[in-house]
Amino acid sequence: MAEPFTMAVPSAMGVTARAWDEQHLDLRAAGGQVAAAPTGGFTSGVAGAAARFAGSWQRHVTGLAATAETRADGLRTTATDYARTDDAVASDQLLLDIALREDR
Amino acid sequence: MSDVVTLPPLPREVPELVADPAGIREYAADLLAASTQVDELGSFVAGDARIPDWTGLGATAYRDAIKSTGRLADAMSLALRDVARRVDQHAVALQSMLDRHGALVDERDLLVAAIAELRARVAGATADQAPALQLVCDDCAVRVATFEIDLDRWITDLMAEEEAIQEAFARALTLDQVERRYAGTDDPADAALDSMPGPNASPRDVKSWWEALTREQQLAVIAASPGSIGNRDGIPPGARDAANTVSLDSDLVDWGSLEDQGLLTDDERQWLANARAAKQAISTIEDGIDPQTLAPVCSQLYLYDPTAFDGDGAVAVSAGDLATAHDVAVTVPGFGTDGQSAPYQADRALDLYEATRSVDGTTGVASMFWIGYDAPDNLPWEGTGWDGAGVAGEGLAAAGGERLADLLDGLRDSRDGDRAHLIAIGHSYGSTTTGHAAHDEGIPVDDLVFVGSPGVGGDTNDVGDTGVDPDHVWAGANSRDPIADLGNHGWVHLESVLGGAGLGDDPAEDDFGAIRFEAESTTRPGHLDLGQHSTYFDHGSESLYNLSQIVSGNYDAVLGADPVTDPWYAGPQDPEWDRDPTERDTLDDP
Repeated sequence: MAEPFTMAVPSAMGVTARAWDEQHLDLRAAGGQVAAAPTGGFTSGVAGAAARFAGSWQRHVTGLAATAETRADGLRTTATDYARTDDAVASDQLLLDIALREDR
Repeated sequence: MSDVVTLPPLPREVPELVADPAGIREYAADLLAASTQVDELGSFVAGDARIPDWTGLGATAYRDAIKSTGRLADAMSLALRDVARRVDQHAVALQSMLDRHGALVDERDLLVAAIAELRARVAGATADQAPALQLVCDDCAVRVATFEIDLDRWITDLMAEEEAIQEAFARALTLDQVERRYAGTDDPADAALDSMPGPNASPRDVKSWWEALTREQQLAVIAASPGSIGNRDGIPPGARDAANTVSLDSDLVDWGSLEDQGLLTDDERQWLANARAAKQAISTIEDGIDPQTLAPVCSQLYLYDPTAFDGDGAVAVSAGDLATAHDVAVTVPGFGTDGQSAPYQADRALDLYEATRSVDGTTGVASMFWIGYDAPDNLPWEGTGWDGAGVAGEGLAAAGGERLADLLDGLRDSRDGDRAHLIAIGHSYGSTTTGHAAHDEGIPVDDLVFVGSPGVGGDTNDVGDTGVDPDHVWAGANSRDPIADLGNHGWVHLESVLGGAGLGDDPAEDDFGAIRFEAESTTRPGHLDLGQHSTYFDHGSESLYNLSQIVSGNYDAVLGADPVTDPWYAGPQDPEWDRDPTERDTLDDP
């Protein structure tokens, strides 16, 4: 027997998409934090390497933030498609049910 | 004569060393806070992001896709954490290099001066003085040679340390390097957290768990899950401080970024204000100078939860090292206190630290303010006054007393085998909370002090009810402080007269039996004045002087005062009302 139509899955997708959004924002902030890490305390021989490391890692963390944002957007699209598909299937089933009903 | 006496060679100049270990530690802290955030993504992917109710091909494809993201996040977190830890070690190494640099410069200055003096002596010497002078010159030459060896070693060590830290940066520069080295590696924090005692475990059990971890596991837990241990009783103060600092730095960046983007919710705005107040409290303490050593005062963030108590926030910061101090004072503030009061409370904690180090500089001191309970938001006669929201009742004090007892138990247990002299000081409504902690829960303190108390709880009728040695229960009450005047007096018990509105007995009264100490202020007017309620921790005050003597255990130096009496035929009589207040020296000039 087919599972009854439920909004639980697209709803869970929506909640998770928002959680991905939070990850995106937090990681973007973390990327900024790495970029702003002060290098003035290092000796002159090391400060350049420290600055280069911070710059590279800002890009790495910001890239991870962008991935999280992509996941959030993708999941929202999937949730919409999922609900729309279920709606369409439900309508089709109803019409099919009418068409297949025996009149006598 | 200089042709027969060989002068020692001049020592080489010591190369300049410009470095700031504190700045390096800041850099490390930023990396560590970012690693915590990246680690959270890894945990999220492994948990909530999986959407268990979703099944089918699409669900499988989604989970496969996010798996690689989680794997990368885990690897990045480990890499960033490793580098942060190495940078922290670099700060320690550079501090050592700076210390050695200072010693080398001093030694060179001495040698140069000695050689100049020898040169002058040689120039004016006679031939028969030459052998003796040569001996002195030879001794000096040996010192120069030793100096040169030390200088070479210092230069070699500095170069090696610089190369090592550059190598640490270079090894984790690209994502390829990170994935090759860290992907699929177990996080040492995972196994440690899996074995962590449950929420009802005793502080002693938590301490045992922590001590059984390897150093690597401890550092991993601090970075990966600071919230798990930052406020956990039984965790040593140094580790709590490290974990809470990671949480604080992360919060400041996250919410600060949302603020910049105009995305802060009202709750987050309040949490951010609490976080900023905690940061400012730390700065306030670290700006202080120890009157004995002239070094900056160290701080410890012992409790940090900016979201606690419906956003009022919970925070405790210590001036001094709670793990090693001989005298540890915990001050519990009262009316109107919340997370945003932290800088003000930090100022008081610092005053008590400075005063205690001034009156007795022989032992280490830690003075911590504790905003760890939901204190009444307003003074009794402000806003709704004696209302049913707990403003003037004992409900908040009773709940806070339980938390305070847990805190004191945790502090005591974290110093197993190294017993500190532990003092609880309750000010204002904080004395009601402290009274409840003592009476309801029992607290492991050596001294119990109430200042500016509106009452220490309805069930505590005298010192015997506190469970603390009566010779170590103290009370300070300024005769012009209207809050200190609120407590029950003698045979009149407000909690029965006003239907439960009172806060219990006045600890400065004779019937209570505490040792009253002088706490008048030279700024007092001729009438009751609310401003006097805030003078107990002021430098130069009788109260701070006496508090610092109690904290340092110099009980004989405490300036006693006669208690308040309340005869049935008249109102309360305070013998301190007519005494001339005195100015006290509570701060050695650095």
